[in-house]
Amino acid sequence: MVRRVLLACLLVAAAAGSVTAQDLDAQAQAIASRLRCPVCQNESVADSPSELSAQMRALIRVKLRAGERPEQIMAYFVAKYGEWILLEPPRRGLLWLVWLGPVFALGAGSLFAFRFLRAVVRPADPAGSRRYGAR
Amino acid sequence: MTAIIGSLSLLGALLVSGLAIVACVRGRHGAHRGWIRIAHAAPVGLFVLVSFAVAALEVALVRSDFSIRYVANNMNLVTPLLFRVAGLWGALEGSILLWQWILALFTLIIALRYRSRYPEVMPYVLSVLLAISAFFLLLMAGPADPFVRLQEAPVDGRGLNPLLQNHLLMIIHPPLLYLGYVGFSVPFAFAMGSLLSGHLRDEWIVVTRRSSLLAWTFLTAGLFLGARWSYDVLGWGGYWGWDPVENAAFMPWLTATALIHSTMVQARRGLLRVWSLALVILTFLLTIFGTFLTRSGVLASVHSFTQSLIGPLFLAFLAVALLVSLGALAVRLSAWRDDGAIDSWLSREAMMVLNNVVLLAMTFTVFLGTVFPLAVEALSGEKVSVGSPFFNQMFVPLGSLLLLLMGVGTIFRWKQSGPEEFARLIWLALAAAVAAVTLLLAGMQKPLVSLGIGITIFMASAQLVEYARGVRARRAATGETFLPALAGLISSNRQRYGGYLTHLGLAFAVVGIIASMSHRMEVELALTAGERVEISGYTIRYDGLIPGRAPDRLVVAAHLSVWPSTGQAMAGSQTDAPPPAVLTPSLNFFPQDRAPVATPAVRSSWRADLYLVLMGVEAGGRRVILKAIVNPLVSWIWTGGVIMVTAGVVALWPTVRGAARGP
Repeated sequence: MVRRVLLACLLVAAAAGSVTAQDLDAQAQAIASRLRCPVCQNESVADSPSELSAQMRALIRVKLRAGERPEQIMAYFVAKYGEWILLEPPRRGLLWLVWLGPVFALGAGSLFAFRFLRAVVRPADPAGSRRYGAR
Repeated sequence: MTAIIGSLSLLGALLVSGLAIVACVRGRHGAHRGWIRIAHAAPVGLFVLVSFAVAALEVALVRSDFSIRYVANNMNLVTPLLFRVAGLWGALEGSILLWQWILALFTLIIALRYRSRYPEVMPYVLSVLLAISAFFLLLMAGPADPFVRLQEAPVDGRGLNPLLQNHLLMIIHPPLLYLGYVGFSVPFAFAMGSLLSGHLRDEWIVVTRRSSLLAWTFLTAGLFLGARWSYDVLGWGGYWGWDPVENAAFMPWLTATALIHSTMVQARRGLLRVWSLALVILTFLLTIFGTFLTRSGVLASVHSFTQSLIGPLFLAFLAVALLVSLGALAVRLSAWRDDGAIDSWLSREAMMVLNNVVLLAMTFTVFLGTVFPLAVEALSGEKVSVGSPFFNQMFVPLGSLLLLLMGVGTIFRWKQSGPEEFARLIWLALAAAVAAVTLLLAGMQKPLVSLGIGITIFMASAQLVEYARGVRARRAATGETFLPALAGLISSNRQRYGGYLTHLGLAFAVVGIIASMSHRMEVELALTAGERVEISGYTIRYDGLIPGRAPDRLVVAAHLSVWPSTGQAMAGSQTDAPPPAVLTPSLNFFPQDRAPVATPAVRSSWRADLYLVLMGVEAGGRRVILKAIVNPLVSWIWTGGVIMVTAGVVALWPTVRGAARGP
């Protein structure tokens, strides 16, 4: 219910075309946190105190105000700096490996664990009613 | 002179460990008393010699002996005394020496405690520990020599990295982390000792349970303090950036956590014997791998790490350790097959098996994300980044799964759960669901966040119920009041109630992490003197600059008055306003670096942190640029860390008293 109301509010806001300052802040922040600061060790543009990151944040705002969509802005930075700028590796080709690896690990691990448990679970009492004084 | 003493001590230590390994090998069957005597005396000599080297480097650091390259690169004439002492772990060579010193200390303790108790295993245990020592001493004899002398001593040194010199946590965080890292060498050595000798098939768990727990506690403290350092120093308002350096410490923590649970299953049910051994080996290898990752320069570029011998030597050591341990494991695999059984799927031990799966999947995820960019670059020359967005997306589902398993596993009893446990499970799940829906109705806009908090509440309440049940039973039995019953309960089974307490600490930390990640508010402000601004619950007024000077730096601090926005302060009637809190974020200019280091100022309460960073000063100090972050519930993370470390100490306490079974 609450979600529906919220969604309706969002739709109304979008329809009215009123992008508030806070929305812009949040959008700019979201974009900046997905870009890598090009001159830092391992920081996002959102978090980095470097001059270049500050300029990039300003540029993101300018572009948002000009009506560009977040994907367009990301594409602009990728064209300029290469895919390395994306903190989140793109889901394509061999890069899928990094996305699927954890899923595969969890799946294989679970399978292994279930087979292991099936092998070692030997009910001490078929009725399962026996209570142990372990505690 | 100090450099010569240091170099000679390290060379001597290398000789001693080499000789002692030979003695261990020759005396392993107990036939040659002479060799055994040498092997048992060697750890004393090793520790004394490495201590000499540490003392030599400390003297050089404190006395600003710039003829030694390490001192010239990491100190200057104005470095404060505390940071001179801490300079031992301020850079590569010194931290390798610290590592070796801690390892020598642990080796000494193990040798003294156990040489007569397990005569058939100790030669193997000692030779493994000594072999690790030999590797690190070899590093210091070659590419990581802390005592390299300069042809001509400079007048002044370069000084410590300003980020390190900017916070006192630099003094305790690295040693704690290293105590944790190096601590895992002890269970590894015992595991290898029992594998190589064929003895102590089940006992090694008991022998090393405490040392694993001790290392885990140090590592936990090190991780939380590292997060705190990042929060207090780096000025981005965050505490964890999935930086490879952080990941390197997080991976062994995950596998060690899995180990602590798997050994419980092994001890009670005679299962997971080989699995626990594999986890010990993996944890140890990950500590070495983490050091390789952070110390070899491989992160800067895949291709630069061969410029120094450090990277290749680490890789070679890792390969040897991996082959030897896997080989030993393979030899014993059939003889050490599990002979136990589990009564039911619906038991605590089954849940622990599953938690091991999730913890290992988490470890693999961190490993993959950390190594993937290096692998891609090495293979194709292409550069990709794997950063926080990736890790966060992976850890939200994995973490939720783990929290659910923790809750269910705590409610389930050992062996077999019955209707009583299921009823409790349903009640707690309902209560958590009600809490999550209440949060949603109370205006939390993100359903996923309410779900996460609901799951955490489920997990935490499972721990509290266990405490409540225990206390009630004890009060019924002894007639004690609440607090004595609680104290008695904990001391009656420290490991068990320490474990629940750790879970509770983690719940606190998780709530803090969820809240601060999802509801953080950040703005950049430009304030002229006297101007007030209101941001999300705080009114901030800029009063002016306070210049300052410390021996090692120039400080420019902004004086800011802060009120909570609810009272009359907002209405403007200053006379009635409560006295403001004063925050002074500053810029620090160190002589060793051109760019200033910003020190944030934080006003912390249990609800939220106001985190202010001074970004710049304009118009001769009449105007300042500030970054203001409102971070909800961050203090819960630190509270959670304190609880987790306290819980580790609670579980370890009997050993500290000296009545112990294991190291």
